[in-house]
Amino acid sequence: MTKREKELDRIAKLLIRRDLELTAANERLEELDRVKSNFISVAAHQLRTPLSGIKWVLKMLIDGDAGELSEEQLKLVEDGFATSERMVTLINDFLDAARIDEGRFVYNKKEVEVRDLLESTMNNFLAVIEEKDLSLTYLLPKEGSTKVSADVSRLAIVFDNLIENAINYTPPGGKIVISIKTTRSRVKFCVKDSGLGIPQDQQSRIFTRFFRGSNVLKETQGTGLGLFISRNIVEAHGGEIGFTSENGEGAEFCFSLPKLKE
Amino acid sequence: MKKILIIEDDKFLRDLMEKKLLNSDYEVVTAEDGSSGLEMVVSESPDLVLLDILLPTMSGWEVLAKLTQSPKTENVPVVLLTNLGDQNDIERGLKLGVKDYIIKANFTPAEIVEKIKKCLGES
Repeated sequence: MTKREKELDRIAKLLIRRDLELTAANERLEELDRVKSNFISVAAHQLRTPLSGIKWVLKMLIDGDAGELSEEQLKLVEDGFATSERMVTLINDFLDAARIDEGRFVYNKKEVEVRDLLESTMNNFLAVIEEKDLSLTYLLPKEGSTKVSADVSRLAIVFDNLIENAINYTPPGGKIVISIKTTRSRVKFCVKDSGLGIPQDQQSRIFTRFFRGSNVLKETQGTGLGLFISRNIVEAHGGEIGFTSENGEGAEFCFSLPKLKE
Repeated sequence: MKKILIIEDDKFLRDLMEKKLLNSDYEVVTAEDGSSGLEMVVSESPDLVLLDILLPTMSGWEVLAKLTQSPKTENVPVVLLTNLGDQNDIERGLKLGVKDYIIKANFTPAEIVEKIKKCLGES
């Protein structure tokens, strides 16, 4: 073996060893990731039981199951109940994110009319839109199908997240425009707000877990999991999700799914 | 008056659900573990069983299996009331013929009573 061959042999062996080390390190990281997801999953399940008790007792007090409350007591208990509801959402988000990580997020796809799903989702938000004095505009196709193949309860999570974000990040008196567009092969849903927008330097991280914008309105609640979960759901349906935003001039989030043939 | 059997090991949740059902004009009997719950389905002949899954002595799944094995109890309507919410748990429950699968944290007692009424054909 020449000197040069020996040197090459030494480098090749070194590379093989490094490769093995990297593979082992990667496996350790994957294992850690599984342990972490499993921990979140177990912890979230365990939290649900005491939380159910808190939520139930507060709602029963509101419903008068233990006699009538004074106006002041009712207000306090209602605030407590709303907080418990937020915590349920938070735990459900954690569980969904853990299921996504573990590949256990199951989709039962059926034919869904996107237009109908939007209508039922919006019913949950009309009160808060009025309360915040937001103007709401719909741009919907006058005719034709908006049918996609989707798990309706999962797709509803995407609608909920995008619309809720638009409401949360828009100051009172702002504008929200919701549109559905169809082409021959796609159904595209967009929600545009006149809120604070997403700063340029944060845009690449918006769909990652636990990321929350620095320009959040003070009263905005959230886990930073909504868009991560939404992206996974849209992609599992063969779709794409994205956004455009100029800082300070609102944001528009859109996703599109393959359209079912009529 | 229709009779509901609650099989639930968490005392706080059991007491709350009992109170809500009593206020909604149901007769209520309760069990705090799987095996005594199974005995009570026979001795009390409830119109509906509200069954938790993670229970001492015998799990809700075992209780369900035993109920479907006996002609005396196979037609008793069962509603699973649990905090296990994985898709495979839900599908397993529905395959075993339960009337409804309710995740405790996602519903209020009033909503659960509405679901029970529906199962009993009362609404």
